[in-house]
Amino acid sequence: MDIFLQQLANGLTIGSIYALVALGYTMVYGVMKLINFAHGDMVAASAFVGLTIYTQVLGQSTSLIAVVIIFLLSAVAMACVGVLLERLAYRPLRQAPRLSAVVSALGASLMIQNGIMLIWGPQMRIFPELIPQIYWDLGGVVVSLIQVIILALSLILMVALYLFVEKTRMGAAIRASAIDQDASRLMGINVDKVIALIFIIGSSLGAVAGLFIGLYYRGITFNMGWQYGLYAFVAAILGGIGNIPGAMFGGMLLGLFQAFIAGYVSSTWADAFTFILLILILIVRPTGLLGERVAEKV
Amino acid sequence: MKRTFRNILLTLCAVAMMAGLSWAETLKVGVQAPITGSYANEGQGIENAVRLLAAQINADGGVMGKQIEVIPCDDQGTAMAAAICAKELVNKGVSMVIGSYTSTAAEAAQKTYFDAKVLQTSDGTADGLTEKGYWTFLRNSFPNSAEAVFAANYMVNVKAYKNIAVISDFSSYATGLAESTVAEIKKAGGNVITYAKIKADSQNFTPVLTNIKSKNPDAIFFAGYYSDGGQLRAQQVALGIKADFIGGDANDNPDFAKLAGSAAKGAFIINVPSPELLPYDVAKDFLKNYEATYGMLPPSIWTLMNADGMRAIVHGMEQTKSFDTKKVADYLMSMEKPLPGITGPLQFAKDGNRIGSSYMTFEIQGDNSYKVVHAQ
Amino acid sequence: MKNLEQFGFPVFLIVMAILPNVLNSRWQAVAITFLIFTVVALSQDIILGKAGMFNMGQALFFGMGAYITAILNAKFGWPILATIPVAILLPALFGILLSGPIIHLRGDYLLVVTIGFNIVFVQVVQNNLGGVTGGPNGIFGLDSISLMGTQLSSQIAVYYFALAVLLLTLGIMRNLEKSKAGRALHYLREDQLAAESIGINTRAYKIFAFGLGAGIAGLAGTIFATQYSAVSPEAFEFLQSVLFFSIVLIGGSSIPGIFLGVFVMFVLPEVFKEFATWRFFIFGFAMILAMILRPRGIWPATFGKIPKFLIKESNNGA
Repeated sequence: MDIFLQQLANGLTIGSIYALVALGYTMVYGVMKLINFAHGDMVAASAFVGLTIYTQVLGQSTSLIAVVIIFLLSAVAMACVGVLLERLAYRPLRQAPRLSAVVSALGASLMIQNGIMLIWGPQMRIFPELIPQIYWDLGGVVVSLIQVIILALSLILMVALYLFVEKTRMGAAIRASAIDQDASRLMGINVDKVIALIFIIGSSLGAVAGLFIGLYYRGITFNMGWQYGLYAFVAAILGGIGNIPGAMFGGMLLGLFQAFIAGYVSSTWADAFTFILLILILIVRPTGLLGERVAEKV
Repeated sequence: MKRTFRNILLTLCAVAMMAGLSWAETLKVGVQAPITGSYANEGQGIENAVRLLAAQINADGGVMGKQIEVIPCDDQGTAMAAAICAKELVNKGVSMVIGSYTSTAAEAAQKTYFDAKVLQTSDGTADGLTEKGYWTFLRNSFPNSAEAVFAANYMVNVKAYKNIAVISDFSSYATGLAESTVAEIKKAGGNVITYAKIKADSQNFTPVLTNIKSKNPDAIFFAGYYSDGGQLRAQQVALGIKADFIGGDANDNPDFAKLAGSAAKGAFIINVPSPELLPYDVAKDFLKNYEATYGMLPPSIWTLMNADGMRAIVHGMEQTKSFDTKKVADYLMSMEKPLPGITGPLQFAKDGNRIGSSYMTFEIQGDNSYKVVHAQ
Repeated sequence: MKNLEQFGFPVFLIVMAILPNVLNSRWQAVAITFLIFTVVALSQDIILGKAGMFNMGQALFFGMGAYITAILNAKFGWPILATIPVAILLPALFGILLSGPIIHLRGDYLLVVTIGFNIVFVQVVQNNLGGVTGGPNGIFGLDSISLMGTQLSSQIAVYYFALAVLLLTLGIMRNLEKSKAGRALHYLREDQLAAESIGINTRAYKIFAFGLGAGIAGLAGTIFATQYSAVSPEAFEFLQSVLFFSIVLIGGSSIPGIFLGVFVMFVLPEVFKEFATWRFFIFGFAMILAMILRPRGIWPATFGKIPKFLIKESNNGA
């Protein structure tokens, strides 16, 4: 039982990171029907930006305020990159064939990933221990401070996003654009603004996830974005791509699935099981666990 | 068909002519090392050391009048890139190759060098490297099996651990070291409660560690590289696993302690003496020059091991007064008196293994420095 | 366009035939790599460009062919040439079996599933399934090609082997274009509903395209394994699939376009060695730029047998 609960705690931590990243994929897909392959690399970039802010701007201060500043500045920086990315790489292709936009997204991914390498170098960079190593033993299950922070902050952000999308006028505009862009335009919604907003929200959530990865695992490499991006993307599909609560659910589910597979079956087969799960779900229920069933679009 | 044969002949002539030309000019020394990738830190160290040695030798008039030209190739620590590097270096006409850092990359390149009669010296510790009968290969470090004996003795007899968990990744080095350590622990009467494998670079090791925790080990022996070792140690402590952590030789890198953070304190690492502990004059000289040239100390002992490999081959060439790699190899594998090396006396067995080993156990201190707690 | 093809092909053939004799061994190796990757990109084109299926896992079939050759040669002692039929048929069979259940998926989902296949494959060979794949190290020390008892160990032999495979692939693609299957694939790419309504069995043709593309990629894998006398998992990772996918689309799914794409991606970096670290950054930038300037590819394919006025300019592309 202890092991089970411990794996559960570990799975939820990594799952909430996946969920944050998955939100970026799902929102962009919902409105633009585009897999933003560059999103994972933005997550990685955020960890490097955060590290640089810590060493260069804050002079390696480890106070709580410093941590908050790192989060805010990185989120703002990545939001700018996200908007820029959309303007330069995706907007010119909105009327082009679907695959052209996919290639452009892959190009952007390669560019960001290798841009990180050119700026920060190919070797692993190491994040400072900003969050003190405090942990509590709850009857055999050990939970650390950083895990609690990751889980709590992710939940707060996700609830806030859910409320924003469901309860505000801007949220309604996002939902409307996702259903039918042309009709939304006719109803007076500025779809360009909605898309920019989506990139701002998605990128800053991704930035938070990138910093979580840096703070939790400490070692960051320029190409780690692929891995997290793919997992998060799988999470988004599990929950039904385009579906915001679905992405949160899918992220958590994938985190737990991987923890239990690694814990009870084999840690070295976690990737294979993740994708086999994905393939099975797509064959059986192509629109994801929470997605609505839609007819195949030719 | 006929044309193909003519082509082959023509190319052979061309290659021979080009090779002849290049002989006349410089002595080409290849460096095959992970200059980028997870082990970039070590790869850059090897390249730096070779360049420094080459500059020193060239300043003294080169090798029998020939200047050394260093040709680096980045194998990223992966087998495929290593195989490509091997082809490329051979095509460029090198007569010896220094590296690589990982056993995997050294092994992937071995046959190409053997076919081309190019001498190769690597710090790769996998036993398999010297078991294929390639006379071109010289190991400048000591094989896993020697380390396994020391590690098992340390854990079972010195520390008297009852239950030991062993973890490795999938690389040739790590599985080789882990398997021979498991065997040696059993031979020494110790108890291996589990042997788990992790995927290198996957960052999240908590599921494996959680399973290990339920088995209440006294010690965790990790055969693998520092980039995973540091994170493994940090996650072990974060999960409240009280066991001692003992890292194999490839954990000996400053990044291990940086990655583990405050968890680094108290971790043990088993390796040959680290650079600053080397008592030899050659070592002190080389370290001084290295620091003066690059503004830092070598990342680990492996840099120096590879430098020694290169020194041995150059020594062999000078002693045999020949650039014939076979003659040099024969000489090196039957030297009666060892060559004083940076990392200790250099002498090779017939199979290319380096003779004589001395391991130590270090304990990482609060300031990330090493303290020798046990020596062979 | 047509003149260019008539002139271009013989010129190309002659240049390629004498090329290895004027190159030194380093550039021969580059030329071989170019040939191998061109074959893989063409096989990807059959699936992606000709049949219109979003496949981003071509490195899987390429790798499978390479691994089959490596395993049969290094572990079971088969001569390289004897491994060829297996290295073609097994990936083709896999292509057929894998594509069967997923062929009906919508474009993006198919993309993700094929990425998934690729990742599962890499994990399988990394974990040394069945003890024959050599784990993360892969397999080294393959023999060279031997023909009637003579060892052809020179690179030139591998070069002509690769060139022959490329010509074979070009021949297959040419025949495909002229054949019933080629026309069917063309119709179903342009408009699947219409194709079905005139009685084309889209499912069968899509699976056929998958099998054919997989088989050719497998054959390219054999040459790859022979050239480096080694295979290892990271050579067939998902990033490789991304490159093949992009090369086809940037090239515009035409033969000259694909040649250009492979040349830019794999030969130019060798010429500009000092820019090697900038390679993917520049390539990423070029991908975006190329798509913005020419969304249908740099050298868009035209379908030979149909008069131009009959082809409706489609605006959904996929």
